[in-house]
Amino acid sequence: MQTKKSFDPNSPEIKAYRDDLENQFVREGLMVTFPMCLPGMTTPIPHQESRITALDVNCQGHIYGGTSGRQTHLFAAAFHGPTGIVMDAGTIPGATATAAVCCGESRTIAFVNVSGRGRAVGMSHIDLAQDFIQEWGLKPPVLADLGECVAAEAVVCAVCTPSRKTIVGTSQRHLFTVDVESGKIAVVAEIPADSFLAVRGNSVFGADGTRLWQYDLASGKIRWAAVQLPQGDWSSPNRWVCDSRTGLLFTADASGRLFSFDENENFRCLGKAPLAPVGAVAVTADGRLFGFCGSEIANLFCCDTVSGKVTQLGVAISVIEHRRYGYQFGAAVIGRDGEIVFGEDDNGGHLWLYFPKILST
Amino acid sequence: MKLVRYNEQRDKLDYLFDLAEKVEDPPDSGRATQCKIHYSFVPSMHDGVLYMATHLSAPPIDLPAYSPWYSWHDPQRCFRGSALLAFDTRSDQVLWWWDTLIPKESCRCLLHDEERGLLYAMSYPRDHLIVYDLRTRQRRDIGRISSINPQALFLDKQHRVWTSSDYGRLVRYSPDTDRLDISPVLLPHNADYQTGWHSVFYDIAPSPDRECVYASTWCPNPPLMRIWPNQGEWPRVEDLGPATQARDDSFPISMYDDHCGGLTFAGDGKLYYVASRWRDPEFNPMPRAESETRGVVWRLDPQTLKREEVAELKHPTGQAHYVSRGAVDHNGDLFFANIGNQPSGIFKVTMPAERKKANAHLPIRMWG
Repeated sequence: MQTKKSFDPNSPEIKAYRDDLENQFVREGLMVTFPMCLPGMTTPIPHQESRITALDVNCQGHIYGGTSGRQTHLFAAAFHGPTGIVMDAGTIPGATATAAVCCGESRTIAFVNVSGRGRAVGMSHIDLAQDFIQEWGLKPPVLADLGECVAAEAVVCAVCTPSRKTIVGTSQRHLFTVDVESGKIAVVAEIPADSFLAVRGNSVFGADGTRLWQYDLASGKIRWAAVQLPQGDWSSPNRWVCDSRTGLLFTADASGRLFSFDENENFRCLGKAPLAPVGAVAVTADGRLFGFCGSEIANLFCCDTVSGKVTQLGVAISVIEHRRYGYQFGAAVIGRDGEIVFGEDDNGGHLWLYFPKILST
Repeated sequence: MKLVRYNEQRDKLDYLFDLAEKVEDPPDSGRATQCKIHYSFVPSMHDGVLYMATHLSAPPIDLPAYSPWYSWHDPQRCFRGSALLAFDTRSDQVLWWWDTLIPKESCRCLLHDEERGLLYAMSYPRDHLIVYDLRTRQRRDIGRISSINPQALFLDKQHRVWTSSDYGRLVRYSPDTDRLDISPVLLPHNADYQTGWHSVFYDIAPSPDRECVYASTWCPNPPLMRIWPNQGEWPRVEDLGPATQARDDSFPISMYDDHCGGLTFAGDGKLYYVASRWRDPEFNPMPRAESETRGVVWRLDPQTLKREEVAELKHPTGQAHYVSRGAVDHNGDLFFANIGNQPSGIFKVTMPAERKKANAHLPIRMWG
């Protein structure tokens, strides 16, 4: 039975809808997935152990990260020159979640949770600047368990300070530091609530409801209720990202409103992400913020941090060699040459390299 | 969307009821509509219940097309979810009208582990494996498999559920350990120009003794294969060769033409399936007077693995080469579901008396 169409196929609305459908997947720039292995040489990190939830980049532009799932894996990756590798650095007994990975000056420290208790794990830098063809070799990295960060508490977040010699972290109720070289962990203070951290200069910020506290790295003092958060929905912990060029911080509230922050000019409201919550984000060298928003099937978006204009860029897809859809992302960092590396927080997770569209001048 | 049944007394189709209406998701809702049941009919032998779960693809009434990715976050447009129904074939009554099997997604294929009272489903578009407990009527999301939706699941004697990944590997869910594992072995493919990529299962038929399954994949030049899931850490997979014709592999053959499905065992203990054939100036120069494509019924002897053509499906006006599923009825006659025409239809192949037997459908296939 043929039913009468209840729309005009030539109407501007229907034509616009068709255009939108044609652009439902990433419509600017290019995404390329990389499997969690040295392709053709090693097996990928197992399917249910490859939810990438933490990434960082070291001074050489190599990526370090950790997974969550049935078992946590730490890994290191390199994509430039004749490299092209994700190396599985090993597992931590009992760990099922990676909260953070921090590339310190002398080594990388990962923070993993084992039955709700957070541990710091040291991993020496791996020589990934090799030509991974025909004649090459790697020794398995040694993972050093540095101990529990705060007794009986899961780690929530950890960030490197600008010197990369110290890491500041939060557990469910405490602020702690880790000396990268010695591995010594010190509990600094009790905090009112679990919080993600932001580093700007000598200050580390964390949230307590609608206010920020400020930890001064030089003096070791904490100023509670130092900054009032702007009007917004702060009902869930907000993540931060830093523009490494300007030091400007960015965050989003639970409804997806985007803000920039520095302690002098305070908060500036930018646009609103097309969907909420806002997940993994990173800021490119030209001041554009790229990230994912929305649950279950996230959408990439871009925010021009100068104008505040937000553009929805669609669902992640990679078609280079193999097709993969990207639905959930747990972490993002800026790679060596300004590309964004997203960690896919899903079964069979891949690293996704995103090359944003080059803007005309 | 009407539930249709072949009525052997009338030799006609019975149109039983409108599923969209029964699952309270009418076609003018403004959302993507309940428009089909894909490979998601499964029987329950102890009580005669037929479970069915709905799939998506048709647009909202006032739009020309629908994409589940595009409309995922739009509550006015997004597909409500796959509706699961229980239909009592003994009384012709619907036992319960619907549960949402998968919110916002549809059901690509369904499997029933009757001993454990569990349904397994593959979701579309996110490609998650879902388990649904018929006793508690609760679902659980096991997690994502891949990107390309596999079109079939199968069950082994240890109650493990199997499907395939994008890379052409076996995926095994073990309910006793709650693990999803990916096989080291690749499913058969043409190594001349394929890597195993996109070798996802299309159709899978169990052998009558339940020791192995026969399968075809959804990729160019689909191969037939035999898999022994009850043997070893990972099954032995036998490549039984391509099901469709040779081609110039420098140019892609339309996936609407190059197809193999409808795998079913008949009363004679042989595997039957339908493979397409198309006109090709070099590899199959069929006379111009004939249609461009043909649907050929093949018989494969499991003992010798010898194959032979036994029939050709003929549609009075349309095409007959794209068969999705096959079945054998209690008399031993074969039925093949054919798509590509409007409306879709069912072919009946009356088997010679010597190849029939009573209750040829038993043991029945427990997946769609």
